[in-house]
Amino acid sequence: MTHNKYSNLTRRGLLKSTAALAMQRVSIPMATSLGLMADAAAQSANDYKALVCIFLYGANDHYNTVIPYDVATHTNYYNIRKGTPTAGTVYDGIAIGRNALSATALSTALSDGRQMALNPEMSALQNLFENKRASILMNVGPLVVPTSRLQYDNKSVPLPPKLFSHNDQQAYWQSSFQTEGGAKGWGGRAADLLLSNNSKSTLTCISINGNALFLSGQNAISYQMSSTGATTINAIKGKSLFGSANCAAALQTLITQQSSLPMASDYTTVTKRALDTYDGIVAAIGATASASMNALFPSSATNSLSAQLKMVARMIEQQATFGMKRQVFMVGIGGFDLHDFLATQHPPLLQKLSSAMKEFDDAMTSLGKGSQVTAFTASDFGRTLTSNGDGSDHGWGSHHFVMGGAVNGGKFLGTAPEIGLTHNQQVGSGRLLPSTAVDQLGAELAAWFGVSATDVKTVLPNAKNFDLYKLGLFKE
Amino acid sequence: MTAATIVELESQHTASEASPLAVLGLSGTALLTACGGGGEGSTSTTLAAPPDNSLANNLAFTDAARFLRQASWGGTSQEIKDLASTGPQIWLNGQFNAPQGQTLTRWLIEKGFNDASTSNNVNGDGGWVQAIWWKLFSATDLFRQRAALALSELFVVSQLGLPFSWRNFAIANYWEILETNALGNFRTLLESVTLSSAMGTYLNMKGNQKYDAKTGRSPDENYAREVMQLFTIGLYQLNIDGTLQLDSQGKPIESYDNSDTQGLARVFTGWNTATGTDATGELANAAYRHGLPMMLNANLHSPEEKKFLGVTIPAGTPGVESLKIALDTLFNHKNTAPFISKQLIQRLVTSNPSPAYVARVANLFINNGKGVRGDMKAVWSAILVDTEARQVNAPASFGKLSEPMVRLLQWGHTFRATSTDGAWTLGYTDADTSLGQMPMRSPSVFNFFRPGYVPPNTQVASQNLVAPEFQILTEPTVVGYVNYMAGTVNNARNIKADYSTEKALATDPAALVAHLNLCLASGALTPANQSLIVNAITSISAATETGLLNRIYAAVLMVMSSTDYLIQR
Repeated sequence: MTHNKYSNLTRRGLLKSTAALAMQRVSIPMATSLGLMADAAAQSANDYKALVCIFLYGANDHYNTVIPYDVATHTNYYNIRKGTPTAGTVYDGIAIGRNALSATALSTALSDGRQMALNPEMSALQNLFENKRASILMNVGPLVVPTSRLQYDNKSVPLPPKLFSHNDQQAYWQSSFQTEGGAKGWGGRAADLLLSNNSKSTLTCISINGNALFLSGQNAISYQMSSTGATTINAIKGKSLFGSANCAAALQTLITQQSSLPMASDYTTVTKRALDTYDGIVAAIGATASASMNALFPSSATNSLSAQLKMVARMIEQQATFGMKRQVFMVGIGGFDLHDFLATQHPPLLQKLSSAMKEFDDAMTSLGKGSQVTAFTASDFGRTLTSNGDGSDHGWGSHHFVMGGAVNGGKFLGTAPEIGLTHNQQVGSGRLLPSTAVDQLGAELAAWFGVSATDVKTVLPNAKNFDLYKLGLFKE
Repeated sequence: MTAATIVELESQHTASEASPLAVLGLSGTALLTACGGGGEGSTSTTLAAPPDNSLANNLAFTDAARFLRQASWGGTSQEIKDLASTGPQIWLNGQFNAPQGQTLTRWLIEKGFNDASTSNNVNGDGGWVQAIWWKLFSATDLFRQRAALALSELFVVSQLGLPFSWRNFAIANYWEILETNALGNFRTLLESVTLSSAMGTYLNMKGNQKYDAKTGRSPDENYAREVMQLFTIGLYQLNIDGTLQLDSQGKPIESYDNSDTQGLARVFTGWNTATGTDATGELANAAYRHGLPMMLNANLHSPEEKKFLGVTIPAGTPGVESLKIALDTLFNHKNTAPFISKQLIQRLVTSNPSPAYVARVANLFINNGKGVRGDMKAVWSAILVDTEARQVNAPASFGKLSEPMVRLLQWGHTFRATSTDGAWTLGYTDADTSLGQMPMRSPSVFNFFRPGYVPPNTQVASQNLVAPEFQILTEPTVVGYVNYMAGTVNNARNIKADYSTEKALATDPAALVAHLNLCLASGALTPANQSLIVNAITSISAATETGLLNRIYAAVLMVMSSTDYLIQR
């Protein structure tokens, strides 16, 4: 192995990647030869990439996010979802009238000519789509193997366990083959392969939204940050606890000491990590967001997702200072489990999602990282097409957004389903049977990120069951 | 103190766990004086050889303190002393017979939160947030409240999912259901929760209707799914000891499938907000109705056959009878005893109970010894007096990370904290830059953390243990907790401690620390850590009142930040 200036590059990490490259049989949109790989490793900060997972907790109602717009299909959708109108909203039952969709209708049609619109609250995301900064992946969800309706009904193929259970499906989406209790996520596993390129490997995977299974790998840990900034223990930073420097020092000794008890030891590990990383983070990104950063996220005071993405942006802005090449971020918002109150509660959530995503994309462009960061939405599952009166119930396949300058934008990816209750791409009540697996989405995200076709099978253990690299998520 | 000395003392501690005296680092006499509640604090810190009877007393005190951490919000030194002489069961029996205090609803009305002319009363949360802190900090039926809090983490309702008016009164009523039934029967608790206004909205049973062929509208499945998954039988078939039953291929067996969910969903149809108005005129209609169980509209109840879990409710069975059959089925399911018992053990005692411990408790759930199933008093007693809960010299895998809100309440109880203006204004404490947890405000119906959570890349994980409370332990919250407590223990907030006992001890740092070690940490501070804290606070001059108080604040904060305290064993 040649010596190079990236002293953190481990022999193991480099050999793993190069051996994998030698065996790959498919071309991926990134350097593919041994020489190019070494060159890529020796490149400057231009070779930075980040994935950002935007998790919508509670299972987003996709039928009211990406909505049929051509008259025939919309009528279908409307007749199934209509009911008692909710005053002061555009909702009739849980259906949105066609007139309300004209402003957010998408100019590109589906391959079969059907037209779609976004929810009326999502003009910002519509703008991204029309400017080819975002695409929509239709009917994606967890599968173990490609599954037909007949196979589902007969249970003749393995299915993801505990479908329709929130916590299990959140875990399954994030880990790709484990339900609740699973300890590793595919974001973390992808990061494992690439974190040796990072000077501060602790900061490879960062969550602004609490403990994230998605980001946990073998070596990659899910490092948490608050959306308000890096935090430390004030008494230790100020070297004074109730006026006493001795007590501040004693506190620090007390909380950073080793213990033989596993829980105590693990608790202390988190404490030490928080204390040890604080100075470096504050030195790099500042104690508060800069005025220019605040200006890029005007809704962050009232939109938690915007505030979280602002923190992600602050970290990305300083990736060179941190010496980072590859990072995976996770943000999220909850409240999507709308069995009731869909007409009043869903619109503000989608408005927040849409505006935060636009703010983030604009910020990335402003930072000169517009093609180096790819964001994607994810959720527990989709929902039923049928209504229960004022809400929808748990589903399976869903529609999700992929966003960034490297993305093949302005497109409908995957296979758009019919709108109905009797077709074979649904399993009752319009719950979609996914036509694209999370593994297929993950494989293309991972490939762009730098994971080889061989390594992708450890990152996404069920990926081997699927046709990979066919979605066309990224530009050539 | 040099690093070498600390390491030495550490290894002494781990090698000599059998000696509570070494743990306490004090002579028996000094300890008794410090925790007797009266008399001067001892000025002696000599490690004298203890007589045998004081050794036994020390064990009794630390066990009493440990018990009170499990069953209450810790104990004051007087409570510890009393319990050491009576033992846990007598304490529990007294607690089982303790009268219920004033309800949250009554408190809200007294404080004027029923006034409809204030829009925040109608649409806001100020009322319940103050009321819940009032109740948890000041109620004297300690075990009932501790049990109610544990149950609120199983039968989860969160303010975050209650988008309606007069929310204060819905949450007040829900707490009343938990505290009224916490020491009663599980079957009654299950039914009261099911028909509550808060749960009815939270999990969407309210307004759920039978199938409509014209529109294709089907009964919503949320309550049916969650009542099985989270409140009674869980996802997988269980043995009596809480371990998973496995099929012939060694795989877990799902306890219900989607057809069970759909069948059960038909049961939970036709129910909606009660009607009726407050005869006393105190409460607006919506507020009043939050205090009543939901009512059935028979026309909206499903007339179809309802099949679930091997039970078939014939078509045409009315709503009330269907509900009874469904709840009886869940109550009597063989999973329910171990599923509930294990989680309640996890809330109070330890994250990784042995299967045998779970089985002992589950068997008392099944039959309290007098032929009654679901007797919660029997279950709680079984959990708390079990040899596994009461063990000393526990293995390293025993215990749990204490919950942040329980730590706050322990501070409040130990130091007799009270709200100076009677408003109990702590507000929300769940920001990750704050305490990191708030009662009745879990992020979802899955509680703040899952019973099976395994923190990745940890010793806990490598030892095949679970540690639920670690799910809310993050870099921000580990720091936020210390900062929050630093701004709490110094009486800077609306709820302030009475440190008069501690002020009497504070001129003797060793006595103060011994007292805090017992009352807060149930004696678990290592000798090295006790010395560390003693030496540190000694450097604060005791010449002034401020100095004395700063010694106390610093000592309390250091104890409550130490993993000796945080990991409750």
